Amino acid sequence: MKNMKEIDIPIEASVEQSRTNPLARVFDELVRFCRSRSMFMLHYCTGCGAIELPPAMTSRFDMERLGIQPMVTPRQADILLITGYVSIKTLKRVILTYEQMGSPKYVIGICSCTVNGGMYWQSYATAKQLDQYLPVDLYIAGCMPRPEAVLEGMRKLMDRIRSGEADGWKDYYRRYDWYLGNQQHLFGDDWQTPADVIGEASHYDLAGSGTEGEHTHLLQQCQKPLEPQQTFFQIGGSLEVKGESHE
Amino acid sequence: MRPENYQAISHPPSNEYELNFGPNHPGIEGNYALKVKLHGDVVVAARADGGYLHRGFEKLMEGRLWIQNIALVPRICVPDPVPMEVCYSMAVEALNDMEVPERAQWLRVLQLELSRIAAHLFTFGGHAATTGMYTTMYWGVADRDQILDLFEEWTGGRVYHIYNIPGGVRRDIPAGFLDRVSHTMDYIESRLPDYDNLFFTNQVFVDRARDTGPMNQQQALEWGVTGPNLRATGLAFDVRRDDPYLVYDQIDFDIPTEAPGDAWARTLVRRQELKQSIHIVRQVVEKLPSVSGPVRTQIPNPLAWNVPAGETYTRVESSKGELGYYVVSDGGDKPYRVHIRGPSSMHAVQVLEQLAVGARLEDVAQIMFSLDACPPEVDR
Amino acid sequence: MSKTVTPWLDNLLQEIEGIEIRRKDSRRVRIDIAADSLPTLLELLRGRAGYVHLSAITCVDWIDESQFELVYQLWSYESQSLVSAHIRIARDPGVYVSVFDLYQPAAFFERDIHEMFGVYFEGSPDMSKFILTEWNGPPPMRKEFDAEAWVNETFERKEYQPDWLKEITEQGGGIVKSPEEARQKKP
Ligand code: SF4
Repeated sequence: MKNMKEIDIPIEASVEQSRTNPLARVFDELVRFCRSRSMFMLHYCTGCGAIELPPAMTSRFDMERLGIQPMVTPRQADILLITGYVSIKTLKRVILTYEQMGSPKYVIGICSCTVNGGMYWQSYATAKQLDQYLPVDLYIAGCMPRPEAVLEGMRKLMDRIRSGEADGWKDYYRRYDWYLGNQQHLFGDDWQTPADVIGEASHYDLAGSGTEGEHTHLLQQCQKPLEPQQTFFQIGGSLEVKGESHE
Repeated sequence: MRPENYQAISHPPSNEYELNFGPNHPGIEGNYALKVKLHGDVVVAARADGGYLHRGFEKLMEGRLWIQNIALVPRICVPDPVPMEVCYSMAVEALNDMEVPERAQWLRVLQLELSRIAAHLFTFGGHAATTGMYTTMYWGVADRDQILDLFEEWTGGRVYHIYNIPGGVRRDIPAGFLDRVSHTMDYIESRLPDYDNLFFTNQVFVDRARDTGPMNQQQALEWGVTGPNLRATGLAFDVRRDDPYLVYDQIDFDIPTEAPGDAWARTLVRRQELKQSIHIVRQVVEKLPSVSGPVRTQIPNPLAWNVPAGETYTRVESSKGELGYYVVSDGGDKPYRVHIRGPSSMHAVQVLEQLAVGARLEDVAQIMFSLDACPPEVDR
Repeated sequence: MSKTVTPWLDNLLQEIEGIEIRRKDSRRVRIDIAADSLPTLLELLRGRAGYVHLSAITCVDWIDESQFELVYQLWSYESQSLVSAHIRIARDPGVYVSVFDLYQPAAFFERDIHEMFGVYFEGSPDMSKFILTEWNGPPPMRKEFDAEAWVNETFERKEYQPDWLKEITEQGGGIVKSPEEARQKKP
């Protein structure tokens, strides 16, 4: 349990680069405004809360008037919606997805299950607190939240993006070691993803004292080069016979 | 950025390759995955990969009181939660030898059928979206919302109602509710011609769905197919009529069938079922005022309720097919074992694996929606 | 067509050894049978009586008797009745034969029981994991596996100490009885 404890990491005040352009702040403001006004959310239904998203997206509640649209690929998406409980199997895919998304990226936890496990608190299959594995910018509580609540949450997120408060993705780079530790605790020590988070952190100038640590060392020790995935069609089933006939 | 350990993976030149279809894929229903092996764009083998929505319901239910489980069960099938509640309640009632007041039975039928309409509308929407017709999806979801509004007024919850409890239902309908039900039914019925024009007789849809994922009656019986998918192969079987529960034996309805057994036939069967469900709802609306009495029987203190030892298998017809609950009690205040037989555990695994073979990749999503597979039911 | 199991079938079934038939109502028949005779019974029911639909296979873990109970639910579209066949197998080693060659739906249920209970079915087409591919623990549905203890060991609970509650507690209010205490009072 010890690596689950939150360690206090001083977050270094981001180094104010001397900005020569007098309009820099205006540009920042403009960029944040644009970001908050065109948000693409990744279309991934992790749990039962996803059933309230179609009403929220389609004609009745119509999220599109806020500039929010579903997007099918992680690399083009801005928001990762975690719609409900994440089973451990899904959580792995969610983390893979999250690391593929381009920064800045935001995570919204919909449903009580993402906050503390909800009604599956004693289930052996679901992860309990999402924010131990991913930086969550906003929670929308409820079982399940109504479409209005989802919209309200989206409005909140827009405000936070405009004011620059929604910076969970920076936190992931700054405290990567802690997040990775929790992930390793759940998935085993040989857990690895294809993304090079430490490299990205230094790219964004966000690498700090919490980016690397014992867990990232463990990761480096266990890291294997990527290999082609094992084929799924080895085990005998009724299916395999048919596969050959197409030659 | 490219990780330092990046190595390009070299494949032998081949026309055959494997593809992960889902879980994060817009064409897949819910959180579910298929591994498909392709030759060109034709599927030569498929394997289902589930468990992304696994919560261990059967284990959870063993650890909770009989009454607490009512809050759990609707989560098993999200688009169509009511049959779950009803079936579980019926199982507990059977263990207790409990009579359900007649009014409660009619209310349950009303709820089941409204839920079936909502689920079918949702499925049409999803199916249309996989063939590129997004307007139908927008309409279907919006019309489903009309029913969710009824549910909200009636039970307080849009999607999960927790309304059926062992022994009856929680409360009676609000005043004037039946008028609003009739009104909504009129509205949905008036929309059906629009749906026909937009979707069911649309040449794009007909061409794509015809002969997609066909199965004959023999195969359907072999593979354990139930519900609308079985009726689309020409066998008129419906648990509501052939193994009646609640008051379905007093209700007049047809069992629509189609012969071809392809995606098109399956959708048409659902389209006609929608009509039948509206017909049933109208009968219930007519009948309800004349059935008076309580809406639930007295149950013992639910926090210390020891259900007599025994076992029972109850089943109902959900919008996806035959839904069964096998419940064992050892005389304690918690179930000893609950096993949920979701209809999709056949459709989404074995049947889908078989039907996907020979289809083109872009039709796999369509086949899945035409089977109305519900992944949470498979994973539980 | 009669709505009950036909009498000749009853007579036929009597000849199988160690069989006990109980009729629950006109549509439900319960058969308890020795584990060895189950394939014979299923063959009879399927081939001669039209029970072509295998509705479910359920495993029940009777840990006190050190046995697994397997329940096969069979439905006949013709006579419209449901037969549930119950067998008991030893909990250790927990091996039984597959009925896949008679009923194809069995493949899913047997695979499910294999990963949830650890019962191995000989002759089943696929015993690989389906749902619990990322799970390394014991088969979770066995009674000796305590899910709650596992969760307490693996996960941390969120602590709820909101400021408004602290303020109230300082003034002598707040949650008087913890939920655990409140629950214990009940009989
Ligand atoms: S909070 Fe409720 S609706 Fe949301 S995922 Fe959990 S159980 Fe489902």
